[in-house]
Amino acid sequence: MANHLPAAPKGSPLHAILSLIVPGLGQFVARARSRGLTILASVLILGGLSIWTIAQEARFPNYELSFSIYVKLVLETGFLLVFLLSLRYLLTKFVFRDPAAEAFGTYGIAILFFLALILAQEPILSMAGRPEDLAQVYTGTALYSAAALAALWFWQVIDAGRVGALADENKLPSMAGAILIMCLLIFALGYNITDFDLPKAIREYKDISILFPRILWPWKEAFAYDQEVVEEFQLIQAPCPEGESGPPSNEPDPDEPWISATPTCGEIGVRDLSGGFAPGTELTITGGNFTPGMEVHILWKNPIGNPFVPRGVGETDITIDENGEFTTKLSIPSVVIPESTAAGAQIHTLVVREESEEVFSLRLSDEMKLALVGILETIMIGLMATFFGILLAFPLSFLAARNLMAPIVLPLQDLVGSIAGLAIGILLGAFATGQIAPILGGLEQAPIPIFLIALLLVITLGTLGFQWGGRLLGSLLKNLGTNASRIISALILGAMLAVPGYYLGQAFSRGALSIVVGEERAAASEVLLAYAGAVVVALLGISFGLLNRNPRGIPFGSLIYAITRTILNIVRAIEAIVYVVIFVIWVGLGPFAGTIALTLHTIASLAKQYSEAIESIDPGPLEAVNATGATRLQTIVYAVVPQVVPYFISFTIYRWDINVRMSTVLGLVGGGGIGFLLIQWQRLYQWELVGISLWLIAITVATLDYVSSEIRKRYV
Amino acid sequence: MLKVEHLTMVYPDGTIALRDVSFEVRKGEFMGVIGLSGSGKSTLLRCINRLLEPTEGKIIWQGRDITHVEEAELRAVRREIGMVFQQFNLVKRSSVMTNVLSGRLGYTPPSWSLINRFSRKDRERAVTALKRVGIPDKANNRADELSGGQQQRVGIARALMQEPKIILADEPVASLDPVLAHSILGHLEDLNKEDKITVLCSLHFLDLVQRYCTRVIGLREGRLVFEGGKEDIGQLSDKRFKEIYGEEAQRLGAR
Ligand SMILES: Nc1ncnc2c1ncn2[C@@H]1O[C@H](COP(=O)(O)OP(=O)(O)OP(=O)(O)O)[C@@H](O)[C@H]1O
Ligand SMILES: [Mg+2]
Repeated sequence: MANHLPAAPKGSPLHAILSLIVPGLGQFVARARSRGLTILASVLILGGLSIWTIAQEARFPNYELSFSIYVKLVLETGFLLVFLLSLRYLLTKFVFRDPAAEAFGTYGIAILFFLALILAQEPILSMAGRPEDLAQVYTGTALYSAAALAALWFWQVIDAGRVGALADENKLPSMAGAILIMCLLIFALGYNITDFDLPKAIREYKDISILFPRILWPWKEAFAYDQEVVEEFQLIQAPCPEGESGPPSNEPDPDEPWISATPTCGEIGVRDLSGGFAPGTELTITGGNFTPGMEVHILWKNPIGNPFVPRGVGETDITIDENGEFTTKLSIPSVVIPESTAAGAQIHTLVVREESEEVFSLRLSDEMKLALVGILETIMIGLMATFFGILLAFPLSFLAARNLMAPIVLPLQDLVGSIAGLAIGILLGAFATGQIAPILGGLEQAPIPIFLIALLLVITLGTLGFQWGGRLLGSLLKNLGTNASRIISALILGAMLAVPGYYLGQAFSRGALSIVVGEERAAASEVLLAYAGAVVVALLGISFGLLNRNPRGIPFGSLIYAITRTILNIVRAIEAIVYVVIFVIWVGLGPFAGTIALTLHTIASLAKQYSEAIESIDPGPLEAVNATGATRLQTIVYAVVPQVVPYFISFTIYRWDINVRMSTVLGLVGGGGIGFLLIQWQRLYQWELVGISLWLIAITVATLDYVSSEIRKRYV
Repeated sequence: MLKVEHLTMVYPDGTIALRDVSFEVRKGEFMGVIGLSGSGKSTLLRCINRLLEPTEGKIIWQGRDITHVEEAELRAVRREIGMVFQQFNLVKRSSVMTNVLSGRLGYTPPSWSLINRFSRKDRERAVTALKRVGIPDKANNRADELSGGQQQRVGIARALMQEPKIILADEPVASLDPVLAHSILGHLEDLNKEDKITVLCSLHFLDLVQRYCTRVIGLREGRLVFEGGKEDIGQLSDKRFKEIYGEEAQRLGAR
């Protein structure tokens, strides 16, 4: 068989060399501009990212050092790669002498390269820097990402050769190899940045394995246990000043359990700084009428009344003999007495406590009750947020539906009149509220009625103003001819816009400008800028009015549509849990903050979904009702609403479902509900209670999931 | 009664659906509009009550140019013009009664109708309209529970609620079988003869045109290519027919 060596791929050495020096240059020169730039950008970004990442090992990252180590590693691994490729070439050419025997293709090279990296890790690294330097970077990540970059560099050199030799620049070779290498590189970095450590997860399994049973089956803590507790006391004075004899020793009681101690006055145990301990005066404690065979416990209460188990001063768990009696010895423990209470006689209390067996009772434990309240709160947060969300999302969704809004085109004079009317209406509403408020006793006395009145007045007067303003100006300008009425309307628009323009200029001067030139100089130009703002915005408004060439007027509907959609998209982009962080500052920790935050997100999400449902309705009925001479609002009520109701119900229930799910985590950042309890219990290592919370969340969410999907099935 | 002058309609995508169409509909006529699919029949009817805004030309309704009237006036005009659609265009999830009553919206004060309140008179009127089209017992059914023919009757009843002076019918029977077609067109004819409501109706089949229409206009690629009385249709020569329906057309459906 003839010796068919693989036809060496035609390549252009010149382009390859160019790319060897500057990545992508060869491709760029060969008129594959964007390819060349992409390669250069990839190498720079990935290299930079690698250097930055590996430097983070040190507390104070040394980027120069990290750069030099990284560059050396790229060179070394590059040589390794070239060595492997030469090896392949030589083997193919002189040993196998058969192209079919090219035993390791690209994959083979990749595997060999990887193996070589693992095996030669130590020498390669030690060549790249001194050990104390290497200690300042993530060496593993550095090695592999450098190797990947070397491979990428190498690939693009070959690629430049191929691209340079290419006659037809439309048929560029595939970049799959480069993309694969880049993915590996990014993976190597991501592995480092996320501290990904699977072995650790397995190694430290035992830490969690102790907790798992407590979390998975926490129900012991869900119930209260009945227990009879008998506590008997003996007062002890310590320290014992000269001449004092302390409180009287208790006398034995013929019927009830009793204890007594002697002496009842003594010295406190002393713990010195070196850890040594000298016990205090030894007390003899006797007692009777306890339950034979039971174990009783001795506790010590300091003068403030805090009990603790005295350690290292004698037996504290004592078994009662068959007569119901016991005798034991205990030295007075070390008790730190705060200076504030150090004056006068220090009376401690010796406690002997007998606890009966715990008896299971059907009552829920206090924690369980708390958890149930928490989950109820969670459900209610979800419910309220959904409810308020619907109220606002419903009207907004019509403004965000393109098929309803796009046909709304108003003649300029109508639009201008309407806006003027709206502004006047709102101002009047606000003014009227201001007049009415004192009659009701001011904002302090009756906030809710005043708020409602304000809402009502502003909305009604605003709407009326909007309607009548448009008609009024429309009919006033009707007889003036198109051009004259257009100019007048544009002027009015400009005049109206001057007001917000004024404040815009002022805000600019106070906000942006004062940062750049300092507050004093900004303040000096504030008035000037405010007027400038007014003039600029007014001119914009006038030219907007004059330049609009649409014969039917201003596409007001599309404008409102675009604005509404944009706002909704921005509001929706931020999750409720992020809003909570802001609202807890405003209204404080608790369910209210969670509810507002969730409501905000719900409004935007629901409005978006609703409006999409509206956009997908059958336009036929809309057209038909419109053709009967119905107003826009009537058309919506009769042709749109009936069509979208099932979708609205479905979306709403689904949203409720999502909201309850969300509100379980709102508590983690202070938004109330079960999450709030969960995070507290977790911090107290109360794993059973954490388990109970998790169970309740799981049960609630799963139930809701099921119910909501069942309801939704009925409607769509 | 209705005059269309030099009407041209260009859709936003540049399709020229009507080119310089002029004709007149006289009071009491049952006028047919014929033409191939895509010839502009629907566009023409929708321009008349301004569901579409004409690009050029005038619509003169009862001596008044309504091409540019503003919303409030336009609504007043629209309620005098009933419309019946090929796809019925009923609100499927609403009851028949609500669908019929919605024809009255042009007369109802907006605020009342928003909470589904119609005067007793309007309700009685709706029952009468349903009786008129022969389905008084379906008033409380949901619209999508009705058969196609019944739905179109609801469509006619809805138009009737407007007390229209003219009914624009856009292929009202194209999605129905021939027997139903005759029954629906029979109702329109009845309205035309009894109530003197003018009808402007686009139709596909020539035999239906011959049977019901008093006058016909023909459209081809947006141009008015034929205008004639009832007799003219019968004597429509093959040549004229091909002018309207194009070279390949067969006299399918025509006797
Ligand atoms: N919304 C639209 N946008 C763009 N072009 C349209 C639109 N509606 C219709 N057209 C075009 O306008 C022309 C006339 O359409 P029209 O629906 O009026 O025809 P028609 O005679 O009613 O046809 P058919 O018998 O199929 O209902 C056709 O070429 C059509 O493609
Ligand atoms: Mg049509």
